[in-house]
Amino acid sequence: MFRFIMSRLLVVVAVALTLSVVAFFLLNLAVDPAQAIAGEEADLLEIEQIRQRYGFDRPLITRYFEWFSGVLHGDFGVSYYWNKPVGELLLERLPETITLALMSLSVTILVAIPLGCAAALNPNTFIDRMALGVAVSAQAIPNFWLGLMLIILLAVIYPIFPVSGDKTLYHFILPAIVLGASSVPPVMRLMRTGLLEVMNADYIRTARSKGYYGWRLLLRHSLRNALLPVVSVLAVQLGHKFGGSVITESVFAINGLGRLALESILGADIPTVQILVFVFAFTFLALNLLADILNAYLDPRLRT
Amino acid sequence: MTEPLLKISNLAVSFKIHYGQVEVVRDINLTVNKGETLGIVGESGSGKTMSMLAMARLLPPLAYISAGSIQLDGTDLLALNTAQFHQQISGKKVAMIFQEPMTALNPVYTIGRQLTETVMFHENVSQAEAVERAIEMLEAVKMPQPAQRMGQYPHQMSGGQRQRVMIAMALMNSPDLLIADEPTTALDVTVQDEIIELLIDLQKRFGMAMIFISHDLGVVSRISDRIIVMQKGDIVETGNTADVLTKPQHAYTKGLLECLWKLEEPRQTEKPDNMPPVISVKGIKKSYTLSGGLMRKSTIIEAVKTTSFEVLAGETLAIVGESGSGKSTMAKIINGLIPADQGQVFYGDVDVTSLTDKQRARIVQPIFQDPYSTLNPNHTIGYIVSRPLRIHGTVPAAEIKQKTLDVMAQAGLTEEFYHRFPNQLSGGQRQRVAIARAIILEPKILICDEPTSALDVSIQEQILDLLCQLQKDLNMTLIIISHDMAVVGYLSDRVFVMLNGEIVERGKAEQVLKSPQTDYSKKLMASVYNVPRPQNEAGAPL
Repeated sequence: MFRFIMSRLLVVVAVALTLSVVAFFLLNLAVDPAQAIAGEEADLLEIEQIRQRYGFDRPLITRYFEWFSGVLHGDFGVSYYWNKPVGELLLERLPETITLALMSLSVTILVAIPLGCAAALNPNTFIDRMALGVAVSAQAIPNFWLGLMLIILLAVIYPIFPVSGDKTLYHFILPAIVLGASSVPPVMRLMRTGLLEVMNADYIRTARSKGYYGWRLLLRHSLRNALLPVVSVLAVQLGHKFGGSVITESVFAINGLGRLALESILGADIPTVQILVFVFAFTFLALNLLADILNAYLDPRLRT
Repeated sequence: MTEPLLKISNLAVSFKIHYGQVEVVRDINLTVNKGETLGIVGESGSGKTMSMLAMARLLPPLAYISAGSIQLDGTDLLALNTAQFHQQISGKKVAMIFQEPMTALNPVYTIGRQLTETVMFHENVSQAEAVERAIEMLEAVKMPQPAQRMGQYPHQMSGGQRQRVMIAMALMNSPDLLIADEPTTALDVTVQDEIIELLIDLQKRFGMAMIFISHDLGVVSRISDRIIVMQKGDIVETGNTADVLTKPQHAYTKGLLECLWKLEEPRQTEKPDNMPPVISVKGIKKSYTLSGGLMRKSTIIEAVKTTSFEVLAGETLAIVGESGSGKSTMAKIINGLIPADQGQVFYGDVDVTSLTDKQRARIVQPIFQDPYSTLNPNHTIGYIVSRPLRIHGTVPAAEIKQKTLDVMAQAGLTEEFYHRFPNQLSGGQRQRVAIARAIILEPKILICDEPTSALDVSIQEQILDLLCQLQKDLNMTLIIISHDMAVVGYLSDRVFVMLNGEIVERGKAEQVLKSPQTDYSKKLMASVYNVPRPQNEAGAPL
């Protein structure tokens, strides 16, 4: 098991290194950092002065190694746009995003897995069709519209939840539903097909011959096998919730990483965007690693 | 007479289809007494498994019991609801063992958990007691180091060991009736023998009744007190084992027995020994590397260890061995389909590696095991059979069709098959197509890798007869790769026995089959269940 984790970690480090290079070079090639700091009205002289002051005239490679050694020492650079260290910005915004991501993941799990199981255990029946209906609608409805509708219904007409903001956990319930809903369809479908396949497996017939049936058969013999593919997809979905919550965070005025990314891009704030790209990518990698470990825990065949 | 343990009356099983239903099992009447073994024999699709699945409530989704009654120890099984049935009957009074030990155990749980859960579920015993009982059962099924096995997972065990675990699991609750559905079909012959002996032993020890389902009349006759023969959903014959074997009533049973008798009597054709070699194998060797992936050691498997031999013109050479013995790798190397790591293969005096694929194909042709996957489903039989002619251009275009029809006729396929597609053919017919395709270029050598093991017994004989006939007519050399001693005995002049990549015994068929020299060959031969041909008082075969 230790060996397995170590080998996966090596892969993660290799991919992360590559990513940092790509992110750094692409961003610095796409935007002239001196121009971005000086603003649109600045004349050439001003831009040139800024270029020299910040060291943008030096070769890209030198600047990359400078930046990367900074990152390794915990110095993420200083944001031009917010005028404070990027590290500080991240720490401010991270808790909001983590809260939202985990809560919305819980929504996804609580809805999609029971729904998928119900559909798989009653294939081609009314229950199955209903589950499919829920999945299709959840996929068809855009996030911002669902968000607005929920606000109108549950915050304005029936003021059960706050309209927006991120002061208490209570504030996160509506956005978590919105963000969680978008992941329900893929997870539910995978759960359904996975379980359908498992229920036809020989070892389920064996379990039946031993006297298992109904929910007991499901919990003790089928679920763990059927969850294997679902775990990997949940990891990807959680990754999306970290990086892709821009719209939901905007609709509900939550100051998370998604909004930080949006604002930094609009402000051409290269140091912040650079770090954010790296953070999002790293989150994906870490979550995939976690999923692999979890799968190895669930399936002994993967442990060697 | 005492009341039988199991009484099935007028049972019928049907499948729901698009419009209405099809009956796959009709009017099944059978009884099993306490402590008795009933054998059910039949080919695939005969309904033998369906009727037992119906009894155990394990029918596939669209199948259902459409008529009849099932009484177990005085209880009407069909009157129980699902919960009652699973709590009172399955795993407790009736236990099952299935054909595929590789997939019948849950891959994500330990053996220990899978063994103990049944007792804890049915009998409310403590975990410690259940573990103790499980270890006892593993001992009873002769599993080495039973206590250590408890923490292992199915994938860490061999097929034979998994089947032992399945048996131990079935016996955990001391069932009254054990249903064994082809429990040895997926296993190697020597392992099959051990499992059969084990089942006979356990049945006596635990005093349970057993229903043993198999397509192999030899195996069934070894283990059963009484035999039922099924064909196409009907019971065609019932009787004591001895009676069924000596006085078969139904034509189908007689046919099955004929096949067995015929297969076990080696041919007496004496071919001259001094024929020139058509194939000379000189010191070939082949190993595979199982790559271990990142940070894992890769392992090297020696599929064929350094081997030399000659195949003589016109003879039939059989290479026998269990799975993993290297016999298929050997066949592929002889066929020139994969290169050897070392050594050379000569056809006559030509090195195989110096031939182009097309040249080689005109000397050697293969026939493979599974006729269901070796024919392209999108092409007609005529196209498939004539394809080699088109590729090689040995026959003028105008004569291709006639030549194809001639060869198909030789392989026992009438003209009507010309425009059909593979999925419209039975397994035996497909194998005929594969044979026709192989002989159309008139090769000198035919290499058949398990040519009949995917076919039913009655079809096997026809295909083997066809191969014999063709060999004579076309003066070919045959190399047969098989794990089935009966097939080998029926066809071959010489036999090689392979074990772990080595030929451990070689000799005349008669000699190897009747008086094997090495321990391994003896074990292989002993695992064949002979069904003696009944003799009249004068000792002549009936």
